Amino acid sequence: MLSLQHLSKYYQSGGNKTFVLNDVSLDVDEGEFVSIMGPSGSGKSTLLNIIGMLDEPSEGYQYFAGEAVHLLKDKQRSALSRTYMGYVFQAYHLIDELTVYENIETPLIYQNIKGSERKALVADILDRFNIVGKKDLFPSQLSGGQQQLVGIARALIAKPKLLLADEPTGNLNSKQGDEIMELFLKLNKEDGVTIIQVTHSEKNAEYGSRIINLLDGKIESSRVLNHQ
Amino acid sequence: MLNNYLKIAWRNLYKNKVFSLIHILGLTIGITVCMMIFLFIMNEFSMDRFHQKGKNIYRVMRSAEAFKIKVPYLSGPYAPALLNDFPTEIKKAVRVMTSQKLISFGNHAFNEKKVYVVDSDFFSLFTFPLIKGDAHTALKDPGNVVLTESTAKKYFGDEDPMGKVIEMDKHQPLKVTGVAKDVPSNSHLNFDLVIPISNYFKENWFNEWINNNGFTYVLLDEHVNPADLEKRFPAFMEKYMGKDMARIQAHFDLSLTPLNAIYFEDSSSFDDVKHGDKSVVYIFLSIAVLILVIACINFMNLSTVRAVERSKEVGLRKVLGALRNHLMWQFIGESVLLTVISCGFSMLLLMLLMPWYNNLLGYSLSVSWTAWPIYLFLIGVIVAVGFLAGSYPAFILSGFSPIQALKGKFKLGKGGAMFRQGLVVLQFSISVFLIVGTLIINNQMSYVKNKDLGYDKEQSVVVPVSSDDLYRNLNLFKTELKSNSNVASVSLMSGEPGGFYDIHSFEVEGQQDVFKPNTEFADFDFVKTLGLKVIAGRDFSAQYPTDSTNAILINRTAATKLGFTPEQAIGKWVKNNMRDESRRRIVGVIEDYNFLSLKENINALFISPVEDWRVVVIKLKPGRIQNGLGVIKDAYRKAAPVYPFEYSFLNQKFDTVYKEDLRQQTILSIFSGLAIFIACLGLFGLSLFTAAKRTKEIGVRKVLGSSVHNIMLLLSKDMLKPVLIATFIAMPIGYYCMDKWLQNFVYRTPLHWWIFMLAAMITFGIAILTVSFQSIKAARANPVKSLRSE
Repeated sequence: MLSLQHLSKYYQSGGNKTFVLNDVSLDVDEGEFVSIMGPSGSGKSTLLNIIGMLDEPSEGYQYFAGEAVHLLKDKQRSALSRTYMGYVFQAYHLIDELTVYENIETPLIYQNIKGSERKALVADILDRFNIVGKKDLFPSQLSGGQQQLVGIARALIAKPKLLLADEPTGNLNSKQGDEIMELFLKLNKEDGVTIIQVTHSEKNAEYGSRIINLLDGKIESSRVLNHQ
Repeated sequence: MLNNYLKIAWRNLYKNKVFSLIHILGLTIGITVCMMIFLFIMNEFSMDRFHQKGKNIYRVMRSAEAFKIKVPYLSGPYAPALLNDFPTEIKKAVRVMTSQKLISFGNHAFNEKKVYVVDSDFFSLFTFPLIKGDAHTALKDPGNVVLTESTAKKYFGDEDPMGKVIEMDKHQPLKVTGVAKDVPSNSHLNFDLVIPISNYFKENWFNEWINNNGFTYVLLDEHVNPADLEKRFPAFMEKYMGKDMARIQAHFDLSLTPLNAIYFEDSSSFDDVKHGDKSVVYIFLSIAVLILVIACINFMNLSTVRAVERSKEVGLRKVLGALRNHLMWQFIGESVLLTVISCGFSMLLLMLLMPWYNNLLGYSLSVSWTAWPIYLFLIGVIVAVGFLAGSYPAFILSGFSPIQALKGKFKLGKGGAMFRQGLVVLQFSISVFLIVGTLIINNQMSYVKNKDLGYDKEQSVVVPVSSDDLYRNLNLFKTELKSNSNVASVSLMSGEPGGFYDIHSFEVEGQQDVFKPNTEFADFDFVKTLGLKVIAGRDFSAQYPTDSTNAILINRTAATKLGFTPEQAIGKWVKNNMRDESRRRIVGVIEDYNFLSLKENINALFISPVEDWRVVVIKLKPGRIQNGLGVIKDAYRKAAPVYPFEYSFLNQKFDTVYKEDLRQQTILSIFSGLAIFIACLGLFGLSLFTAAKRTKEIGVRKVLGSSVHNIMLLLSKDMLKPVLIATFIAMPIGYYCMDKWLQNFVYRTPLHWWIFMLAAMITFGIAILTVSFQSIKAARANPVKSLRSE
């Protein structure tokens, strides 16, 4: 599904290059559930952002769904990410001024989907996530776990092929975290959504089918897990 | 999508109440002021444009070398002669004389000041629609009268006024044959009653060529070029006025002023129709633009700095698939929404303020909510403010990189900060400029008001000779008053100081050319009553029985212009070419006094003891004003029964002469005050933001031992820097512009340095007050709180 080859990201400070990612190559197939781990500052989030096309690499080649991303223009890249990807953040990042319903609806608006269709899609996902009763509340009225649930619902509303999650359970207690992870697993298994998550937690990483360890901007190890 | 934008715009407004209030308050005030000025300007430029034949109507103006200006007064015979000599060019000629009449009927009597005496074509030439009666026949007979709607209502209430008979000056019955709609405020002609000029056809004075007493309007044929017609006027004048002109040694010429241009001609005591001043229109227009600029800058600055708070939303929307133009439109939409809300408030505010504004202007403007111009204006404002001011923050906001925005690491660029500081500088430059302007205008007006005018204006009552009855009994009136113990002296004269002074031509001993001074015709008590000073020779005196036919007084300027010292002038002879049969000797020279308004220089003045009495000036003894007024009223009753007693005080003459200037001064002060208020609102918003942004820095500094005082200084310094720069920019511009403005006045106050100091201090004071409010709050906050929130 995606392939990164000899990818680097660095910042020029004075005469020195400070590398955040250094010559990283990585392939992810459709249907995989990849966990990226590593200590703080190892480049996990940057890698995820580059995969999600929110950030650009300084060097290297990037392919996604058969397209050479490094050759695309901003608008095309944006169109690509819009149709294929959903994002989940550690801090949920819901729009405070919008209700649950409106937050989930927003990505559809930018894809020019008609009002009636949007209504049906949002109603469907609210039902699926069991948050119909919360649809008119504002984010500040929800618990952290509920907010993240809305965040995931929003990420999934446009039926992405790839779900990118940056420490999705980082702000949650362990019970809430487990629920989110179970949900990810289910999405991966039943709906075939490819998932790439960044996490600190060994336990959460174990939910994935592959764990990649980053250290100082390089892939230190890659380990495939065999779940029964 | 629109729905979504509107929702978020509305919720944002609601959430940030202080910022929304600053935005909306600033814009509402700005737009309201602009609408007021817009109405004013619309009215000024719509002057006399409602006449259907207006394009071809001209007023005939007379010019002579003696007057620097053109004079609209012509005598009765001009109109028929013009029609006779230019039958194809001039279709119609209508004479309009302004007059005052006593109108009485039953037990009622009114002294009507706006009576027009006109040719019967008046209502068919001008578009003053008649509600009742026929425009072509209403003024056919001498005994007809047309009333305006309000006059009819005043006289007869709800009764039908048609056919009612009223009496003019107690001897001539007039039958109401028409009711005209009230004259709109955008007309230079302004009347309450209209009577036919045919009443005077048989009077001698009316048929004399040199007896100029009214306006003449002509309707030209569509194909006639007025310039061509004007070329034929010298021959016309020679034909009819040749002899007269030779006799009085003056040369007159005629010209045509288009109806639309009359209003913006210079006003003078020689043309007492309503006049406007284009420079005032431009001043107001500039203020409107400046205020709108200030309001827009507020908008841009506040929206941009607030963008930082919204960077998360922007970043998110980008992640969720928003393209840059989606976001641009969202933010422009928000500013348009704010503008629309402000426009709504402005309309409400305007409706509330209209009575007060009309009072301020001194005439009534009406807002035509059903006509397009006001809406076109509002749409213009929405486009200008909403789109232009909204697009800068929209551009900045939509340019955020999503990752940075989400991390909250976003910083507004250095270049952008410079730009915004530049905007604040511009804002305050405008404010300082307006303060300087307002101060100088106020200073000038109070200078003019308090200037020693050279005559004694206290305790003096001016009674206009407004009726034939009073004129006939003037001597009785005067004798009765003089004998009263409350009265110091009484003088009959043609013009009180600040009043009307004709210009006549004189032959003067030893002079080649005729001399053309202003003239005063007064009795022997003139000098005493006005408290003038005789600097050479003597005053008129009853001890010299020949004074009334042989003597004349002149002022110092006249002596100087004639090349005499005051002493040399005594005994020289002069002859009034228009009035006198024989020569008069100069018996005295008086010190100059400001008999014209202070806008004009003191001119030469000849005071002759000739009967041409239009006002009575009564000087009362100190402390006797109340009793004195009672005495004057009684005497007036005897001299002119029925007529309502009217008077004014000589020291109030200033207020009437400078009424327009005083009004404009008030309006200008208010508007510039508002401009400063809006600018400070913006500064307040910025300081609010800065203090909030620097909470952490302040916390750290406090932990490290900085005092409240130091932190206040730190915060205020940055905010006040643009104000300081603005002050330095605005001062020279203010100096230049106000120096230009003062050139309009003959007597002007110097541009004191302290005015500029004061302006700078006012601006700084207000700015410091605004900024320190926030700074103190931030500086005194507990650092633990601000640091914990990180």
